[in-house]
Amino acid sequence: MKEEARKSTGASPSREYIGKRVLRAEDIELLRGRGGFLADLPAPHAAEICMVRSTEAHAMVRAIRKERALASPGVIAILAAGDLDLVDDALPCVDMIPGTLDARHRVIARDRVRYVGQVVALVVAENRYLAEDAAALVEIEYESLPPVTDHMAAKNPGAPLLYPELGTNVVYQVTQCDGNADFAARDGDLVIRKRYEFHRQIAVPLEPRGVTAKLIDDGQRLHVESCTQLPQVLRLAVAGALGLALDHVRVTVPRLGGGFGCKEMVYPEEILVPAATRKLQRPLRWLEDRREHFASATHAREETVDAEAVVAPDGTFLGLRLTGWCNIGAAYGFVGNTPITAMGAMVRGPYRVPNLDAQMFSVVTNKTPLNVLRGAGGPQAALVMERLLDEAASILAIDRAEIRRRNLIQPGELPLDRGRTGFAGSYHTVYDEGDYPRCLEAGLRLAEYENFESQRKAAAACGKLRGMGIAMYVEITAVGPYETARIALQPDGTILLFSSIMPVGQGSETTQRQLVAEELGISMEQVAIRQGDTDEVPDAVGTFASRGAAAGGAAGRMVARELVKKILCCFAAALHCEPASLRWECGGVMVSMPSEEFIPLSKIPTRLALLREEREPRRIDAKHRIEIPKPSYSYATHVAVVEIDPQTGQLKIPQYTVAHDCGRIVNPLLVEGQIVGGVVQGIGAVLREQLVYDSEGHLLTRAMMDYVLPGASDTPAEFNLWHMETPTGFNPFGMRGVGEGGTIGSHAAIANAVADALRDYDVAVDGSGPFTPTWIMEALSRPPRAAIPSRVPAKKK
Amino acid sequence: MAAPDWTLGKPLRREWDESQTALRMTVNGKQVQTVVADRLLLCDFLRDNLELKALKVACGEGACGACTIVIDGQPARSCTLLALQAEGAEIFTLEGLNAPEGLDQVQQIFQQQHALQCGYCTPGWLVTVYSMIKRSIHPDSPEVAQYLSGHICRCTGYRNIWTAVRRALGAAMDESAGGEK
Repeated sequence: MKEEARKSTGASPSREYIGKRVLRAEDIELLRGRGGFLADLPAPHAAEICMVRSTEAHAMVRAIRKERALASPGVIAILAAGDLDLVDDALPCVDMIPGTLDARHRVIARDRVRYVGQVVALVVAENRYLAEDAAALVEIEYESLPPVTDHMAAKNPGAPLLYPELGTNVVYQVTQCDGNADFAARDGDLVIRKRYEFHRQIAVPLEPRGVTAKLIDDGQRLHVESCTQLPQVLRLAVAGALGLALDHVRVTVPRLGGGFGCKEMVYPEEILVPAATRKLQRPLRWLEDRREHFASATHAREETVDAEAVVAPDGTFLGLRLTGWCNIGAAYGFVGNTPITAMGAMVRGPYRVPNLDAQMFSVVTNKTPLNVLRGAGGPQAALVMERLLDEAASILAIDRAEIRRRNLIQPGELPLDRGRTGFAGSYHTVYDEGDYPRCLEAGLRLAEYENFESQRKAAAACGKLRGMGIAMYVEITAVGPYETARIALQPDGTILLFSSIMPVGQGSETTQRQLVAEELGISMEQVAIRQGDTDEVPDAVGTFASRGAAAGGAAGRMVARELVKKILCCFAAALHCEPASLRWECGGVMVSMPSEEFIPLSKIPTRLALLREEREPRRIDAKHRIEIPKPSYSYATHVAVVEIDPQTGQLKIPQYTVAHDCGRIVNPLLVEGQIVGGVVQGIGAVLREQLVYDSEGHLLTRAMMDYVLPGASDTPAEFNLWHMETPTGFNPFGMRGVGEGGTIGSHAAIANAVADALRDYDVAVDGSGPFTPTWIMEALSRPPRAAIPSRVPAKKK
Repeated sequence: MAAPDWTLGKPLRREWDESQTALRMTVNGKQVQTVVADRLLLCDFLRDNLELKALKVACGEGACGACTIVIDGQPARSCTLLALQAEGAEIFTLEGLNAPEGLDQVQQIFQQQHALQCGYCTPGWLVTVYSMIKRSIHPDSPEVAQYLSGHICRCTGYRNIWTAVRRALGAAMDESAGGEK
C-alpha cells in the first residue's frame, strides 16, 4: 500500500542532488538574451543621470557654475553636494578596527576632490544623451593641490596630505603575529630579504554598474534597484544617508553580469540616485559607461610588501617578518583594508612557518578607492610565500617540490590555530580539516612534475624557454557571522526559496535549489528561488568571500529543515496527534493515522486544508538564521607550465593543473567553472592587465582598449583538474567556498613559472608583473645569470 | 514594424533641438521605418527603441563583442555604429536568430558545456557562432580562434566556450552533411 501510494504520487526515494553535474536552469533565459539585467529592465518615466566627475586628482572645489548646463535642452536639474539633503555622507567601511583613522569615502565632493572620477555633481535630464551634453557644460573651478599617487611616497612625513585633519596618509594599521614574533636567525640559517610589488588592477565585470530609484507605496517608500552584491547592506546605507526608517527603503537586485568583488561595495551613486529621486520626486536611472567604470569602480591589488624569511639549512621556514603598505586610493572601500590584512592572515598558506611578525598598513593616495577583487589579498599573499619558497629552494639547492613537502602542515596538526592573524571579526585564524600533503602530491602527479626537465629540454631544442611553477594556498571562505533564508510551501504545493545570495554568474540559483531539493527529497523542478529583494529577506550578510553555497546554501538547506518541522506540526495539530508519530520521508509526510499514508509535498497544502476544513489551502512559511562563528579554509595546489618565445616575448600556457579541496561539492560542473574562470582571471592579471596613472594622478588606462583583459587564446591549452573532498566540520553540510581560489593560486603559479623559464637570466620576479611581452623582452636582454647566488650569511644578533 | 520618431527610447521633442533623419531598415525580418536623432547609436536604437534587449553594451568601443549583431550577413558591433549608418540594412539580433521558444541546438550545447556563467556576454558569442555556422567554419579551422578573439568573457576562462563552439560547429556540419544525403 505504501509503495503504491508513492508510485501514484510520483514521490521517490532521495534524489541525491549533491555532487551531481546538474545543468543550470537559469541558462535558458540567459541564452535567449532575456537575463533581466538592470539595464534591460523597464524604468518607466525615469529621467537619466550623468555624473559630473572630477578631472583633478587633488584640488579644492572653489565654485560650481551650473547656468550654461541648466540652459541645455532636456535638463531637469543639476545637483551638487549642497543640494542633496544627506544626513550622513560617509559611506560604510566594515574593516575599521580600533585605531583606524576616518578616511571613509564621501558620497559627493564637498569642498575637496581626492581622485579623478570622484562625483562632483549630477546632471538629471530627459535622456542620457542630453544629460551628457549638459554635463560637459557644468563649469567647476578647481584650485589644484599637489597630488600623491605613490603609496611609498605618501606614507612618508612631508608628503601632501589627503586629509590634513588626520595628519598622516597612513590610515590603517594591523599587527599580526604567531609563535615568537621576536624570532631571529641562528648561525647557519638562511635569511632572504625581498621587496614584492603588486600592480593596480580592476575587476571589469562585463556588466557595468547601474542604479535606478523610484518612490513606491504612494510616495512613502524608496525603491532602489542596484547592481550590488550587498542589497541588505545597501538598504542600511541608503536609510542612514537619507535619514529614513529602514522599512521605508526597499532594495532589489536583478541578476548581475559578474561581480568579482567590484560590486561588494556601497558606491556613491547608490546613495546619490535615491537622494536625487527623493529631491526631485521622480524616477531616476544612472547607467555606468565603461570609462566611468575604470575611473570610479573600485580598483584592486596595489601594494608593496617587504619580506624577511629565516630558513633553516634543511629548507624549513622558521619565521617570516613582513611589512606591507597597500595603496588604497583616496578613501576606504567597503572592505578596503581587507586586502592588506589578508597578507598577514593568509601568507603562510599551508606551510607551518611557526613564527610570524607582520605589520600591515593602508595608505591613502590620489587614486580611485581600492577594494577587494576575487581572492581579496590572497593572490598577493600566496605569491610572496611561493616566491620565497622557490628562492630558498634555489639557494639551498633543494628540489622545489621537496622544500614544500618539508614545510607543509600535516593532517594530524589540523585544526590548527594560526595565531593572532585574523580579520577584524575573527582575530585568530583557525584552519579546519584538510590534507595538504596529499593535495600537493596530487597536483605534482597530474602535472607530471617528475618529467618536467625533459619537457624543458625538448622546448629548448625548439628555441623555446619552458618553465614550471608550483603554488599552494589556503583560502579563507564562507565567512560569517551569519546568513539567513526564508522558504515557503506555496498553496499549489511547490517550494519557493528566498535566498540572500545574489546571482552573479556562479550558478547560485541552481546550487541553492539542489540543496533544498536534496533536503526535502523532492525534485529540483518543484523548487523555485527568488533572490535580491530586501522586502523578502530584510536581514542578510551578502554575496562575497566565497560564501554563496557554503553560507547561503547552508542557510537555505537549514530553512528547508525548519519547514519540515512546521509541516509536521501542522499535521499533528490537524490530526490531533503527537508530532513524533509523523515523519518526513522521501519528499512527503508519512502519517500513521487514521491509517498509514504517504502524503507527497505537492498534496500537503490541499490535504491540510481538507483536514482543517478550510476552503483554500494555506501557505506555510519558515525562516532560518544560521550562525557561522568560524570561516572554513579551502586549499589547492596549482602547477603552471609556461613557454616563452624569446624572439617575440610571447608567453603561452601549454598546461595548467589544479588539485583542490573545497569540502563537500554540491555541483562539480559549476565548481570546475569557477576554478577555470578564476585561473584565467589570474593569468590575465599577471600577464596583461595593469591600471596606469601618470604622476599627476590622471588615469591613462580608461577603456577596455587600453586595459587588456585575457581573451580566448589566453586559456591554457591543457587543463588538469582534480577534486579532493574533505568535509569541513565548521559547516553543517561540510561545504567550503570555491569562488576565488583559482585566482589566488594562479598569480603565484604563473610568477614562479615565469621565473623558472627565465632562470638563466638575471631577472627578478618580485611581484605580480605584469609579465607582458615587453617585460619579457627586457628581461631577455639582460646578461645571463653568472651562477646561482651564493648563500646569504645569517646576521648575528 | 512602425515606430514613432525616436531618440533613446523617448519620442523626439522639438525643443531638444536634435538633428534628425529618416531611417529605414529590416530588423529580424520586419520593416522598420522611423525618424531618429542623428547621433543615436545603433545599439541604443535596437535596445531602447525596438526593445531588443539581448544585445548588451559593455565597453562602448567595439572591444568586447557583447553588442554583436548581424548586419547584411556580417557579424558587427552595434555600439560603434550610429543607427543611421544601418540605413537600408538587413539586421538580425539574437531574438531573430534563435528559435522562437526554448533552446536551439547551439544554445543547448552552451548549456551542456557550462559555457556561460553570468551570461552577460553570451548573446554576443551566440550571434558570432550562428555566423560561423552560416559560413560552414570547420571546428578545427584556425579561423575559429579569429572569431573568438572578438569576444571577452570575464567568467568562464573560455575553456568551456571553446568546447561548446567546436561542438556546435561540428553538430551543424553533421546536420548539413546528413541533409545532403
